[in-house]
Amino acid sequence: MALHLNRADYLQVGVTSQKTMKLLPASRHRATQKVVIGDHDGVVMCFGMKKGEAVAVFKTLPGQKIARLELGGVLNTPQEKIFIAAGSEIRGFTKRGKQFLSFETNLTESIKAMHISGSDLFLSASYIYNHYCDCKDQHYYLSGDKINDIICLPVEKLPSITPVLACQDRVLRVLQGSDVMYETEVPGPPTVLALHNRNGGNSGEDLLFGTSDGKLGLIQITASKPIHKWEIRNEKKRGGILCVDSFDIVGDGVKDLLVGRDDGVVEVYSFNDANEPVLRFDQMLSESVTSIQGGCVGKEGYDEIVVSTYSGWVTGLTTEPVHKECGPGEEVKINQEMQNKISNLRSELEYLQYKVLQEREKYQQSSQSSNAKSAVPSFSVNDKFTLNKDDASYSLILEVQTAIDNVLIQSDVPIDLLDVDKNSAVVSFSSCDSESNDNFLLATYRCQANTTRLELKIRSIEGQYGMLQAYVTPRIQPKTCQVRQYLIKPLSLHQRTHFIDHDRPMNTLTLTGQFSFAEVHSWVVFCLPEVPEKPPAGECVTFYFQNTFLDTQLESTYRKGEGVFKSDNISTISILKDVLSKEATKRKINLNISYEINEVSVKHTLKLIHPKLEYQLLLAKKVQLIDALKELQVHEGNTNFLIPEYRGILEEADQLQEEYKRQPAHLERLYGMITDLFIDKFKFKGTNVKTKVPLLLEILDSYDQNALIAFFDAA
Amino acid sequence: MLLPVFTLKLRHKISPRMVAIGRYDGIHPCLAAATQAGKVFIHNPHTRSQHSSASRAFQSPLESDVSLLNINQAVSCLTAGVLNPELGYDALLVGTQTNLLAYDVYNNSDLFYREVADGTNAIVLGTLGDISSPLAIVGGNCALQGFDHEGNDLFWTVTGDNVHSLALCDFDGDGKKELLVGSEDFDIRVFKEDEIVAEMTETEIITSLCPMDSSRFGYALSNGTVGVYDKTARYWRIKSKNHAMSIHAFDLNSDGVCELITGWSNGKVDARHDRTGEVIFKDNFSCAVAGVLEGDYRMDGRTQLICCSVDGEIRGYLPGTAEMTGNLMDTSVEQDLIRELSQKKQNLLLELRNYEENAKAELSPLSEADGPRGAIPASTTLHTALSVSLGRETQPAHVELCISTSNGKKLCGAGPWGLLCHRGVVLELPWSLSPADTIIRAVLIFAEGIFLGESHVVHPSIHSLSGSVRIPVTPPKDVPVDLHLKTFVGYRSSTQFHVFEMTRQLPRFSMYALSSPDSASEPVSYVSFIIAERAQRVVIWLNQNFLLPEDTNIQNAPFQVCFTSLRNGGQLYIKIKLSGEITINTDDIDLAGDIIQSMAAFFAIEDLQVEADFPVYFEELRKVLVKVDEYHSVHQKLSAEMADNSNLIRSLLVRAEDARLMRDMKTMKNRYMELYDLNKDLLNGYKIRCNNHTELLGNLKAVNQAIQRAGRLRVGKPKNQVIAACRDAIRSNNINTLFRIMRVGTASS
Repeated sequence: MALHLNRADYLQVGVTSQKTMKLLPASRHRATQKVVIGDHDGVVMCFGMKKGEAVAVFKTLPGQKIARLELGGVLNTPQEKIFIAAGSEIRGFTKRGKQFLSFETNLTESIKAMHISGSDLFLSASYIYNHYCDCKDQHYYLSGDKINDIICLPVEKLPSITPVLACQDRVLRVLQGSDVMYETEVPGPPTVLALHNRNGGNSGEDLLFGTSDGKLGLIQITASKPIHKWEIRNEKKRGGILCVDSFDIVGDGVKDLLVGRDDGVVEVYSFNDANEPVLRFDQMLSESVTSIQGGCVGKEGYDEIVVSTYSGWVTGLTTEPVHKECGPGEEVKINQEMQNKISNLRSELEYLQYKVLQEREKYQQSSQSSNAKSAVPSFSVNDKFTLNKDDASYSLILEVQTAIDNVLIQSDVPIDLLDVDKNSAVVSFSSCDSESNDNFLLATYRCQANTTRLELKIRSIEGQYGMLQAYVTPRIQPKTCQVRQYLIKPLSLHQRTHFIDHDRPMNTLTLTGQFSFAEVHSWVVFCLPEVPEKPPAGECVTFYFQNTFLDTQLESTYRKGEGVFKSDNISTISILKDVLSKEATKRKINLNISYEINEVSVKHTLKLIHPKLEYQLLLAKKVQLIDALKELQVHEGNTNFLIPEYRGILEEADQLQEEYKRQPAHLERLYGMITDLFIDKFKFKGTNVKTKVPLLLEILDSYDQNALIAFFDAA
Repeated sequence: MLLPVFTLKLRHKISPRMVAIGRYDGIHPCLAAATQAGKVFIHNPHTRSQHSSASRAFQSPLESDVSLLNINQAVSCLTAGVLNPELGYDALLVGTQTNLLAYDVYNNSDLFYREVADGTNAIVLGTLGDISSPLAIVGGNCALQGFDHEGNDLFWTVTGDNVHSLALCDFDGDGKKELLVGSEDFDIRVFKEDEIVAEMTETEIITSLCPMDSSRFGYALSNGTVGVYDKTARYWRIKSKNHAMSIHAFDLNSDGVCELITGWSNGKVDARHDRTGEVIFKDNFSCAVAGVLEGDYRMDGRTQLICCSVDGEIRGYLPGTAEMTGNLMDTSVEQDLIRELSQKKQNLLLELRNYEENAKAELSPLSEADGPRGAIPASTTLHTALSVSLGRETQPAHVELCISTSNGKKLCGAGPWGLLCHRGVVLELPWSLSPADTIIRAVLIFAEGIFLGESHVVHPSIHSLSGSVRIPVTPPKDVPVDLHLKTFVGYRSSTQFHVFEMTRQLPRFSMYALSSPDSASEPVSYVSFIIAERAQRVVIWLNQNFLLPEDTNIQNAPFQVCFTSLRNGGQLYIKIKLSGEITINTDDIDLAGDIIQSMAAFFAIEDLQVEADFPVYFEELRKVLVKVDEYHSVHQKLSAEMADNSNLIRSLLVRAEDARLMRDMKTMKNRYMELYDLNKDLLNGYKIRCNNHTELLGNLKAVNQAIQRAGRLRVGKPKNQVIAACRDAIRSNNINTLFRIMRVGTASS
């Protein structure tokens, strides 16, 4: 059975953060529920729908930006008390809007995530976790990396309180009191946690997680170890997950999984007999989905998915059929309530327009006076700059609450800007004289009307580092623009991992000198992505990284006065050496750099590259043949006379072409890395082999693994 | 919502823009389209194909209702329609780079097969002006040719550059069709028979044109722009990052007015309102759209809109009935309306809040803390100035746009940099900027046709920020350009900036700098003509079209002004005598043409006879004409050789096969070796032929351009006379007459 959901927009509030909208429990089954939502203006609003009109129950005064909104109450009673986290304060409201709690936590940072269970309050700022019971401090934990979300397994079902932290370093940390019970690695940086079936399943231990690279999974958190149940890869390359909920929207008695993503996609997964999720429905909204919940809001008796978006729209995807869905030719009547709504809006607009005109004039007049100043109106930009593991490229997502007029992208490092299919903006590359102005890339994106979200794809080269800047100008008067800066790090294609293969041949780079732990940590932060800004606790720390493009690895262990970096890729070591010595010289620190090169590692790296290169070459060859084969097919009518290999190519033609298109310049990148490897190998020996590069490229053109290895050995 | 009434999936690729519907037997509409490997397929769903394996057409092995037509050359354009009204059914016309074939599908025979030396980039079929019989008009390299049903060449003229699109449209509303020509030099020209009645300059190559109701027509450019013109005025245009593959006018919502239907390279099809460009319908294909057409493909008496994708998917849409007007799209109107209104409301509220906050902030004095947030004095204004810079050693000559804030310190005062340094003025160092000095963080210039893309960005490095920016601009063509500037103003530490938006116009001849006359360098080439205008009016024209220094003071007639081109340093003299005779000395024939056309437009001159002499250019042209002759003879020789060789191949093949049957393997092997060698020779010969052909095309283009240029030196009737006379001279191969015409405008002395 196909699931049909119709979209209905209810209301727009200010810009919203992740997990800031909830539905209050219904008085009886399938009765309409009220929606509570908190926005960046600090306003909490509770409203219900009456005859298609949003009717406010209460609305608080503006205040600090609301980061989270949760419902709570005495355990085993309806959870209808509203709790919000704003700044470092927690406030509680009854469902009528009466404030009954104001709790200043005295945290130095503002609260990022919150979970409430009975009288237990679980909070986290960027790195700090705190547990309060009846507003009294109970437990405390300092995490190694940023905490994105927090949840506690249901206390009704489990003997002990088990909070779980979703941390940026791809780890879920399961706590017991103030200590970590254990950690479990997840496939991407987790951004959201939720209890499976809203109650943690039968055991109460089933936990759903979503990651910023769009993966979704279920883990059973038992008292001793985690059990990974299932995982959904992000094959369609959709956005990161911001919110999940469990609700039976299909109506088959089993709760379905509702997912909201940061590219505006809403998905519904149902579970098959093997309890594995199957995609049932997806719909594209134009902006990030910040909260999602199943329930009933628009009309009694019709289930729906209620979502809130970044710019504050509360929208329902309802099972209620739209009555005007009829055959072509039938007249469509705009029903009365709609018309009322429209005319109300129109009159409101007229008034506003008049007022804006007045203010505009005043503003113009003020520009005549000499001592007045003109402040820049601030607007919020929601941005995300992440490395994609699949194609080793960065994606930059910019989202603004109003329509974007244009975006200027400037970079002082050579990078490639790739086209993203779903963008409708017109790109234009400007010429840049790089020497005088440090510009390697200047591009403008002129957006079509109503574009609030822009996605860019960027390909960086390891070893070339600098800054990428985006100047975002929205379509709003007075015209202003905001700059966002993003660092392209020297080892930009590396990703944090928690396990590496210790049997590989490794090259080692050792630093010794008069430097503090914080200093060496800052260098590592400078060189590698996904390392927390703050120096971790302890005297010595080890981080593991993986090159997303070549799968080579890097181990970095450092303490005060010493740093050891080990990698099976000689180029990685070479980049580190160059950057670190440059940084140290800049800060006038005397560094002793020594390295130990393992000749075998070069051959090992080449062997790692070999299957990728061979695959790409074969793919390129196949794609080249497709057109000719198709012509033969047209001419001859059938393909029986072809050898099976060619028939295979014809059958898979579409997939092959798709795949080829998906990874442009993949082969060139591989060639580039092999060339780097070649140059770096001999750089450590003290010889310059740049003159031999053309010869190497010749060998690559007629690629053969043994010939290549022989060339590396011989040169 | 509008759904397709039929969907077909043919297993043949369709080449973009090369698809047409015709009733080749007079009754059944069939779809003909160019496909891979120099073939044309004809889809005939109505009658089972009776084609036997005759000369050209044979049945497709993939599908029973598709027959294939072998052209054996890459097809470059295709259309169908009535060429011979007596025949009572449509002909199929297929153009390649060298030939035009008119084909009678029903009888499986050729109507004519003509060599077209200028190539066929675009084709249109219909009646033009007063010419009674329908013409197949093909556009090639700078030339337009019209053929009747016997292949007679009834129409011939030249245009400024390679033709990319053609359409017939009643442009001036006289009931007769004019020819619209879109060419590589970004111009849309309107030909009333062989007279150009209008010219519109666009910003990119015009890839498609289509007639709409009355004098309206749609156009598409290679940079993703589509739009609608009514006569010479543009109603609207939109630009997308995708390319418009095909455009067609069709009344999809049954309101009596055609909409512009566009098929895009990403597979989107949209219908836009002819007056506003508003989208009233859209649909998606899985790959690029190859063509948009109309026809009664189901033969039920109602015309459908038919869209084809490049991989052979065909969808037909019936126009929506009048009641569903404005509701062809999926989403419900009122929901969208509410959303739009709410968005507007939100924007207004935001703007209001901005003013409120501004008012609040105004009360506090400007302080250091405002830096990052970017509050600047309200009185800040931007100054822009355009000037001509003769260039320095490191930088070629250019037009300079200088933008400066009213309250930022400038790194350099007025005047070119070089001068300042020589005078020993100490440059202020950037870090001496006080926090109250506003800086320009970046400048975005959106302008069409003068940059690589549609925009140019100036983003000074963080160390050299200042209150003024100098931007070199070098427009490649002499056209007036609007520069839309967006300037980001703030402080050094700002993360938010004010955006100042303004528009400056770059005059048409901005790339020419006023210089002092120097009779020694005066170009020998000239044009001269007489106009009945006062000298003051000419001075006004000069001021509008050139970047003259502010202190230029031009006295009364007679006077002369001298300019130097910033592109190549060439000289330009404009002299006016008391009698109203104007002489323009320049070696650049295009520039002379541009100046005459610009003056004619400014003074509203309808007809202008001009005397011209360009000795250097004419000498080059003479050489080109000689070369054309040479290439023609080489071409003939090569063709003859090829024919010989093909005979040889036939006999060799027969002998080799004979040897095989006789089991004389040695002889067979030898024969096949010979065949192999011959084949190699043929391939080489082919390469030579190809090169020869490209050279020939290049030279023919130069000849056509020369005629066009000679025409552009005149206005109105004299212009058409020159073009017609030149053409006759070339036909009769009378080179001396040709030059005479180009000089004085007529053949007779």
